[in-house]
Amino acid sequence: MKRKALSIFLASAMSLSLLAGCGGAADTAATTTDAGQADAPAATEAAAPTADVASEGEHELSVYAWDKNFNIPALEAAEKAYQTVDPEFKLNIVEQSASSDVENAITLAASSGDYSQLPDIVLFQDHYIQNYVTNYPDAWMDLEDAGIDWSDFGAEKLSYSTVGGKHYGAPVDNGTSVFAYRTDVLEECGYTIDDVTGITWDEWLEIGRVVKEKTGKYLVSMDHNGDDLPYMMMQAEGQSQWKDGEPNFVNNDTLKQILEVIITGAKDGVIYLCNDWSEYTDTSIIGDQVAGVFNGNWIIPTMEQVSENSGKWAITTAPTLSGKEGYAANGGSSLYVTGNCSKPELAKAFLAYTFGGGEGAMATYDDALRNGGVITCCISASKSSVYQEGVDFFNGQSIYSDIVAMGANVPVVEQNDYHYTARTQIQAAITNVINGSDLETELKNAEDQVRFEMGL
Amino acid sequence: MGNKNKMGLLAKQKAAGWLFLLLASAMIVVMSFYPMVRALITSFKTGSSANLQWADPLIYNYKRMFQDKMFMRSVGNTFLYLIIQVPIMLILAILLAQLLNNKDLKFKGLFRTCIFLPCAVSLVSYALIFRTIFATQGLINIILMKIGIISEGINWLGTTSTARIVIIIALIWRWTGYNMVFYLAGLQNIEYSVYEAAKIDGANGWKTFWYVTVPLLRPVIIMTFIMSINGTLQLFDESVNLTNGGPANTTITMSHYIYNNSFGQGVANFGYASAMSFFVFILVAILAAINLKVGDTRD
Repeated sequence: MKRKALSIFLASAMSLSLLAGCGGAADTAATTTDAGQADAPAATEAAAPTADVASEGEHELSVYAWDKNFNIPALEAAEKAYQTVDPEFKLNIVEQSASSDVENAITLAASSGDYSQLPDIVLFQDHYIQNYVTNYPDAWMDLEDAGIDWSDFGAEKLSYSTVGGKHYGAPVDNGTSVFAYRTDVLEECGYTIDDVTGITWDEWLEIGRVVKEKTGKYLVSMDHNGDDLPYMMMQAEGQSQWKDGEPNFVNNDTLKQILEVIITGAKDGVIYLCNDWSEYTDTSIIGDQVAGVFNGNWIIPTMEQVSENSGKWAITTAPTLSGKEGYAANGGSSLYVTGNCSKPELAKAFLAYTFGGGEGAMATYDDALRNGGVITCCISASKSSVYQEGVDFFNGQSIYSDIVAMGANVPVVEQNDYHYTARTQIQAAITNVINGSDLETELKNAEDQVRFEMGL
Repeated sequence: MGNKNKMGLLAKQKAAGWLFLLLASAMIVVMSFYPMVRALITSFKTGSSANLQWADPLIYNYKRMFQDKMFMRSVGNTFLYLIIQVPIMLILAILLAQLLNNKDLKFKGLFRTCIFLPCAVSLVSYALIFRTIFATQGLINIILMKIGIISEGINWLGTTSTARIVIIIALIWRWTGYNMVFYLAGLQNIEYSVYEAAKIDGANGWKTFWYVTVPLLRPVIIMTFIMSINGTLQLFDESVNLTNGGPANTTITMSHYIYNNSFGQGVANFGYASAMSFFVFILVAILAAINLKVGDTRD
C-alpha cells in the first residue's frame, strides 16, 4: 500500500512538473510540456535577439521591428533622414521573427517588473496597443510633449494609439483597406471596375455569382482563422461591434446584415473562407483563384507576387449595405517609446522629425515607400512626387495617393481592448451558421462568451 | 583506535550517494517545485500580470473556469481525443511490437526504425505537414479526386468532425512508434521458454498473446497508458499548428486555451491560466491513480 501511495505521488509530481510550464508563472513560460513536446511559440522568444539599452551611445537608439521587407526598410529610411540633423545618430534595429515576439517581450518585461531588456522604441500592432497600455502602463511613455502635429494624420489611425486621451504612438504605415479587382476577369463577365464601385453588397453578391459561374473564380477570399471581413465591413458602414465598451452583437442589425452577406457569399461560392493564413495568401491569392482582394493595403506585395497578372488589377472602395462607397482600415502598426528608454528626448525628437510629420518626414516616407512599400498616413508627406507615380502592376493607377485619399475617409469607430476576442467569437459564429446553426443563437453565444471573457 | 576519524567504506559510499542525490534534488526543487508553488500562488490572483492582486474570493479563478464555456469545450475536446486516440494507438503499438518481435522476421531493424521514425520529427513540423496534406487543395484531396472517390475537395480542417479526425490520425501517426518501443523492450524481457510452455499446453497464437504476453506486459501497458493520458491531456502543438483550435474552436485543447490566456491573444491572464493548469494537474493525478489501482493485482 505504501508503495502504491508513493507511486501515485510520484506520478502526480511528474505530471505537475510538466504542467507548471504551460500555464504557470511567467518565469516558467518556456518550459516543455510532454516528453519532448515543446516548440511552442513562446519557446522561441528566448532565442529572439534583444537590445541592450544600457550600453548604448548618446546618439544611439534601439528599436524592435519584425518585417525586413516592410517596416525595417522604413526604419532605415528614418535613420538616414535623422542623420541630416544629427550626423552621429545611429538606429539599432533589432529584428524579431514576428509581431507576437514584441508583444511577448512586453508581457514578460511587465510581468516580471524588469524592463531592462526592452529597447528604446518598439513597433507595435495597432489593434493590440490599447490592451497593452491599459494593462502595463509602466511599459510606455506618452508622446504628448514630442511636438508632433497630430492633425497631419488620419483620425482613424490615431484612434488606436490614443489611450485615455493621450497620444502614445507615432504612426508608421497606413492600414487603409483596398478592394482590388481583376479587371480582365470582370470584363470577361461583362463588368467594369465602375460597376463594382459604390454598389450594395447584394449587387456585389449578384456579380460574384456571375463571376463564379463564368470563370470559376471567387470574388474575394479571407483567412477565416483570423477573419477581418466582419470588422472591415462594419467599419465601412461607420458602425462598430462595440457600444459603450461592451459587445453589441445581438441587437446590432448592421452586424446581422453583414454576417448574412458573408454567409450567403460563402455558401454561393462568391467568398472563399480559407482555413489559415497560408491558404489565404498562397492558395487563394497567389494560386490565382480569386478575382478580388479585400484587405489592408499591406496585402498588395502578396498580390504582386503573381507577375503574370501585372496590369490587370485595379483598386477601388468597398461595397456597403446602402450602396455608398465604403472606406475601412485593417492592420497597421505604430512606433512606441518604452518605459525603459534612457533617452526619451532623443527618441521623441527622432520620431517627431521622421514619422511624426516633421522636416524629415517626406524623405523618410519616400524611401519607406520605395524600399518597403510602406504607405504613409501622414497627409503632408503624401504630397511628395513619389506618391503621385503610377504603378504598372495596377495598370498605371496612382494607387499610393489613392490609398492616402481613401484613408482620410475611413470613419472612426469604437475600438476595444478585446478586439481579437470578438473577432474569434464572430468567426466561430459564421462557421457555425454556415454549418447549419441559426444566426440569432450564434450571435447570442458569441456575445455571451465575449462578455464572459471581459468579466462583464 | 587510529582510524576513529575515518569513515568506513560503506559510509563513504553512502555519503557519495547522498551528495549526488542532493545536487539533483536541489535542481528539481529550484527548477520544478519552486515554479509549481509560485504557479499555485498565481492561480489565486487576478488582474494584469504587471499588478497581480489576490482574487476575491480566493478561488475566483477556479470558480470561473466552470462557467467558462470555451474552457469546458476544450476539456470536452481533450477527452474526446483521449477516449478515441489512446486505445487505438496502444492497441496498434502492441500489435506492431508483437509483429516485429517475430524471431524469423527479416529486416527487423529496418521496420523498427521506420515505425519509430515519426517520433524523431519535430512536433511543429509534422503538424504543419499534416495541415498541408489535408488542406482543401492538398495531397489527400487530390489523390481522392484522381481516384474518383470524391468530386470536390473536402474541407478537412474547416469541418468539425473531419478536423478532429485529422488530429487523431496525426496523433496516432506520431506516437504509435514511440509506444511500440516500450512494448518491444517489454516483449524482449519475456523468456522464450514461457511461450514454449504455452505451445506444449496447446495454446494457439491468439491465446498465447492474450493469456501470456498481455499479463506479462502489464507493467509496461500501465506505464504507456499513464504517459499517453498525461500527454493527451496536455496536447498542445497539434491544436495550435494543425487547426489553430478551429473551426469555431471545436478542436481547441485545454493546453491551447491555457496558452491563449497567457500569451496567445495579447491578454496575459496568468492567474486564470495557472488555475486551469492546476485543474489539468488534478485530472492527470486522478486518472493516473485510477490506472494504478486498476492495474494493480497484488491486493
